[in-house]
Amino acid sequence: VPTPQYLFSKAVYDGALNSGNVSKLLFGTMQYMTSFNDVEGFGSKYVASQVNLSSAVFTAAYPNQINEIGEVIKAVKNDPAKINMYAVARIWRVYCFSRLTDVYGDIPYSEAGQGYNLSIFQPKYDQQSAIYADMLKELEEAAAALNPANAATFGASDLIYGGNTDRWKKFAYSLMLRLGMRLSKRDATLAKTWVTKAITGGVIRDYADIAKVDYVGSGQNINKNPIALQLFNDNYVKADGISNPEGGKYHQAFIDSLKANNDPRLPVLSVVYVGGVANTTESLQKGLPANINGTKPADFVTYSEPKQTTVLRQNAPLLLFTVAEANFLLAEAVLNTWYAGETAAALYEKGIRAAMQQWDLISGTTNTVDAARINTYVTAHALKTSASVAVQTEQIYNQVWVGLFPDAQEVYNNYRRTGYPALVPNNYPGNATGGKMPRRFIYPVVEQTLNKVSYAEAIGRQGADDIVTRVWWDKQ
Amino acid sequence: QAAGEPAPVTGTVKSGNDPVPGATVMLATNKRVMTTTDNAGFFSLQLPAAARQGTVQLTITSIGFATRTVAVSAGQTTIDIQLQKDSGAVLTDVVVTALGIRKSRKAVTYAMSEVNGSEFTQARENNVANALTGRIAGVNATGLSTGPGGSSRVIIRGNGSLTGNSQPLYVINGMPIDNSVPGGGSTPNGSTIRTSTDRGDGIGAINPDDIESMTVLKGGAAAALYGSRGANGVILITTKKGRAQKGIGVEYNGTFTLENVSVFPDYQYEYGQGDNGVKPTTLAQAQATGRRSFGAKIDGSTDYMAADGKNHPYTAQKDNLKNFYHTGTTFTNTIALSGGNESVVYRFSLSDLNAKSILPNNKYNRKTANLNISAKLSEKLRLESVIQYNFEKGNNRPIAGDALGNPNWTPYEVANTVDARWLSPGYDASGNEIVWNDAGIVTNSYFVVNKFKQTDNKNRFIGQAAISYDILKNLTVKGTITRDFYNYNFTSIVPTGTQYWPNGQYDGIKSDVSETNSMITGTYKSSIANTVGFTVLAGANTRRFKSDELTLAGRDFTTPYFYSFSNLSTSSAVPVASDIKTNSLFGSVDLDYKNVLFLTASGRQDWFSTLSPANNKIFYPSVGTSFILSDVLQLPAMFDLVKLRASWAEVGGGGPDPYAINLAYSSVPSASTVPLQNVSSVAITNASLKPFTSTTFEVGFNTQLFGGRLGVDLALYDRKSSDDIVSVPISTSSGYTSAILNSGELSNKGIELLIEGTPIKQKDFSWNTSFNFAYNKSEVLKLADGISTFSLGNSVNGNAFINNQVGNTYGAIYGFRMLRDAAGNIVYDPNSNLPVQTDVNQQLGKGVPPLTMGFSNTFRYKHFSLDILVDGKFGNSIFSVMEVYATRLGLMKSTLAGRENGLKLDGVTQTGAKYSYTVPVANLRAAYYNSLNRYTELFVHDASFVKLRQVIISYRLPEGFLKGLGVQSANLSLVGRNLLILYKKTDNFDPEQSLTNGAAQGIESIGLPRTRSYGVNLMLKF
Repeated sequence: VPTPQYLFSKAVYDGALNSGNVSKLLFGTMQYMTSFNDVEGFGSKYVASQVNLSSAVFTAAYPNQINEIGEVIKAVKNDPAKINMYAVARIWRVYCFSRLTDVYGDIPYSEAGQGYNLSIFQPKYDQQSAIYADMLKELEEAAAALNPANAATFGASDLIYGGNTDRWKKFAYSLMLRLGMRLSKRDATLAKTWVTKAITGGVIRDYADIAKVDYVGSGQNINKNPIALQLFNDNYVKADGISNPEGGKYHQAFIDSLKANNDPRLPVLSVVYVGGVANTTESLQKGLPANINGTKPADFVTYSEPKQTTVLRQNAPLLLFTVAEANFLLAEAVLNTWYAGETAAALYEKGIRAAMQQWDLISGTTNTVDAARINTYVTAHALKTSASVAVQTEQIYNQVWVGLFPDAQEVYNNYRRTGYPALVPNNYPGNATGGKMPRRFIYPVVEQTLNKVSYAEAIGRQGADDIVTRVWWDKQ
Repeated sequence: QAAGEPAPVTGTVKSGNDPVPGATVMLATNKRVMTTTDNAGFFSLQLPAAARQGTVQLTITSIGFATRTVAVSAGQTTIDIQLQKDSGAVLTDVVVTALGIRKSRKAVTYAMSEVNGSEFTQARENNVANALTGRIAGVNATGLSTGPGGSSRVIIRGNGSLTGNSQPLYVINGMPIDNSVPGGGSTPNGSTIRTSTDRGDGIGAINPDDIESMTVLKGGAAAALYGSRGANGVILITTKKGRAQKGIGVEYNGTFTLENVSVFPDYQYEYGQGDNGVKPTTLAQAQATGRRSFGAKIDGSTDYMAADGKNHPYTAQKDNLKNFYHTGTTFTNTIALSGGNESVVYRFSLSDLNAKSILPNNKYNRKTANLNISAKLSEKLRLESVIQYNFEKGNNRPIAGDALGNPNWTPYEVANTVDARWLSPGYDASGNEIVWNDAGIVTNSYFVVNKFKQTDNKNRFIGQAAISYDILKNLTVKGTITRDFYNYNFTSIVPTGTQYWPNGQYDGIKSDVSETNSMITGTYKSSIANTVGFTVLAGANTRRFKSDELTLAGRDFTTPYFYSFSNLSTSSAVPVASDIKTNSLFGSVDLDYKNVLFLTASGRQDWFSTLSPANNKIFYPSVGTSFILSDVLQLPAMFDLVKLRASWAEVGGGGPDPYAINLAYSSVPSASTVPLQNVSSVAITNASLKPFTSTTFEVGFNTQLFGGRLGVDLALYDRKSSDDIVSVPISTSSGYTSAILNSGELSNKGIELLIEGTPIKQKDFSWNTSFNFAYNKSEVLKLADGISTFSLGNSVNGNAFINNQVGNTYGAIYGFRMLRDAAGNIVYDPNSNLPVQTDVNQQLGKGVPPLTMGFSNTFRYKHFSLDILVDGKFGNSIFSVMEVYATRLGLMKSTLAGRENGLKLDGVTQTGAKYSYTVPVANLRAAYYNSLNRYTELFVHDASFVKLRQVIISYRLPEGFLKGLGVQSANLSLVGRNLLILYKKTDNFDPEQSLTNGAAQGIESIGLPRTRSYGVNLMLKF
């Protein structure tokens, strides 16, 4: 017999872990990181021989977080005393499904995870438009159902908010803001409706409300920050700048941008090993070009890589939704005239400051980013309010690129929607995209066999199962 | 000799020139007057005076020889008696059937085949099951490419279960033993160290010297008395017993063999190490291209640098396999002592097998002690006990599949101008792996053999005790208890300093497994009016299977180079326990009418502890008949015997594992204070599960001609598995990876032919020949509602799949092709400049050979004999992972196209427009050949073969030659196994190359190369 709160904790860990997996691939695509090696460098090179790598997230998601959260919902759904647990589980399910549909497009949704309960072995693929409609409805209902007066929560088993229903409500509306804004390119009217609802409901604006999963950092892998652990295991175990088994380093585009903007986060997230010792001197930082064809450069050690005490810190929390993200999305809403409560410039500045501040959470020490340099940076990068909406949008999403790191998936989602940051795609030999930016992940090959009919329907509707096909909300 | 008594009759019992020790010589009219021959075959029998008044009949019996009766006339005091070896073709023999029941061969209503134990003891296979290859029609036996101590895969009459176990039940002296691989068998994709290590199966521990005979019960009717465990046939092993004799009989059997790699890849040696047509001249370039042969034309130039940082002439290095692998050796010594008197006989053997694989540091040692004691406590009470203790120890068993820790990767895939020995020893002064190529995951094979550590040891005990009592003259009850128990320890270390896991990794398995059977049977034998004979058997059995397994896993050794589980920064220990009990009642009736018409019926009911009480019992019936046509009709004189037989049976298989009925939840190890729980079943459980049913109908025809000189046995069978337990892989979007369903249907139909003959039989020269042929047609009839295909396994990286698809054969190979238009032009994607992939469901071949055959010949000339076994398998295919990489890395001859001026691609685009593009030399690997792994069809080959499987040249030393040393007989042989491949279609590897003994056959995974072995065997009797 399941114990819902224990299963819920597992579902949270697994959902966060898989988000980490998505991010790992997208680190390359969003040009944070690369490798001279084709397998590790797939995200930044889109090589045809490795496109199957992108299907792993789908394979991992359903038997883990999707099934687990479904079991939680089954256990608490019909118990009026457990309305908070039910609502929280629904919000988490939306988070998990949104991460999947955003990279794959149409996915099994309404019939997913029902193998045991309803003997559905070949779930149909739902259209992304329908999935979005349902996810937004779920968020609205769950947020409304949360009741602070009811003490029955997941309590300590709630790894995100420890049972705090007010914060869950903010998280629900924040996700609504995120998902609502996602529709802006495809259906601006619908997007506006949900963005407005979310703002009315109240989104995460305070540091204390940041949605995050806390980690222990020792013992079992499941207790460690999944992004930090993945990066660490793949490349940075030795912390010597040269051993890097998969040839990983920071991407040239990312480090160049941080340096060009005199970004005070550079020494926080990046190091170069000099004589085997981590060195944060900014002038020494250098990113690896993504067009190196399989050959480890002789000067490999001189390239920058993630800092052990911040990006690679295994007991760092994984940030799911930050104050920075809310501010940036709200700033865009202002530019779209969907929100008038604050100015875009103010929201934009708050976003930058929040993005700097959240390194305190990641590193576990206060004032990690130098306060004086934050002020200098903010001044130097003020929103050009007199410029065009496009210019301001680009400014915002350049900040999202740096400010949401390492949540590469959210950056990628916004990139596909807005076109910013204006990254230059890699035209690498043997790439699968014709030198263009990939637009989605591919489904697991076994779906062609095990879920033939539904798979064929999805392909027929959405387009070929390759990495250049655009998902529904990415099509104009 | 008392005064007045007549002198005893003395003499010798021999077979040819060989004395027959331990033969029983008795008075035909009074079996209490008996004696046994000594080691020289000599006997002395004191006959009662009354018997010496006229001619008396003596009966001489000995196991392995036809019983003979000779006359001794009054006053005759000496006689020399010749016995004929049982040829196995003489139909009057008694044969061993299910539960160890002995029956007249005439009465057997189904196909069965026997192999004498002596067939396995000269040219030896470490795993005795592999020695069945080519011997028996319808038995498909293959050893794995996993080194000494590896598992075998034996399939009788096709695969019986769609996803479950299709291997036969192994039975020793009537009682089942365990044949599991501790911690589970290796998988064809070998994606982790644990799943890519073959830890050896249960049958592998049986010492061939202890085997008197092996009997294969092929069909359902033969195995019907094993009920739910008989579906895949049964291999009955009868162990050797002692014989009553004077003194102690001592036998020694020693074999020493050498083995070498037998097949070498046919790579290109025109263009050497490098990329983009350029050879490496710096260390960085050499390391980046360590496994790429897309360099310049091989020209002997001297500015070439390899990954060892040294300049070498740029010349082809064709002997990397020869240089990397050693000559393997196997030394087996067995000594057996036997003896006893009329009431107690014993046989005790000790055996030691010491194998050093062709892979450096890979060793396997097996010690076996076997004691068999039979006692006749009174005329009515008999005891028999067999005790076997085994110790098996493996070191550094090779893995296959993925590249990490795979010792075969470097010799196979290193660039073709690199002498692999330049990469030796593979580590630096601190013991860390030296970089040799672009991918850390591809471990330097020298580092693997020198620094990876794997050890396993298995303590195994098989104990059997049986007591039988004749309550009445015709009524015998027998009770038997057998316990097969092992305790197993496995540790596998990825060491500190490995490129891919710099801080190391740990895998361990501790396993206690036991199979206990207690059986009681009662047999009543009688006849009615001397025309209808009958035997009635009734019995009960309780089976208990228990497995306690602890899997240990972790990574990152806190103190470097100290390889203890307690020194890991992340570790988990997960116990898994299973406990299965099956109770059974069974019975059979055998009737015969005047020894001409035979009828058998049996039934067994099994009750299972692991099934839901609502449907936890199943009944298994069988009937069979045989008819001796030659005893009824007046046939031409050349026919000694013509027998027709038919049988029908329903047996079961796939007795369900625990935890298959209800959804289970487990707690998940966590370092946090918050407890974690998950759904522990990745398979959807099934509350109404029951074992599958295998229904077999078979008919057979058997004839003996020309005084036993020619024998023909033909069998036709139709075997259908229904309600098969299929662990159907389902879309993971269901929340599960598979569903356990009871819905599969699978058909196997086939024909088996055995022709045995003795074309020449003269005093000094004889020729025995035997040819067997089997064709099995399998067809997947049904999987589950709405599911028409599922995968049994796949290659590493998912380039090829072994699928069961409705309407196709069992275990076929599927994957991608290049898309072609109606005119056959390749369709290209102008984005990637690569052929468009078809969907994955392209049928590319059969994983299992439908046609198998064996041809064995024995020639004897005076003291010499020559045994030759040729066997073949036809009609199956194999997918090669080795070739996938050899293509991506430029080793295959097929990658020579385009090296000078670029590769011109011609075809059409998806819209049908003409497409043409030249891949520049600078991108040849990266943009084209490296991506060919997307097209499975390129790497699937016909796996048919004919092999010279075994040759034995024996010389029997003349009698008395070593008499001074007390040696009675001595036999010296030159032996060889797998000497030649007479026919194959795979250019680069042995078509029998396989990593798994599971269901997914048809994938080569860069395993240990297969070998030929040759050596000497010495057999001495004292």
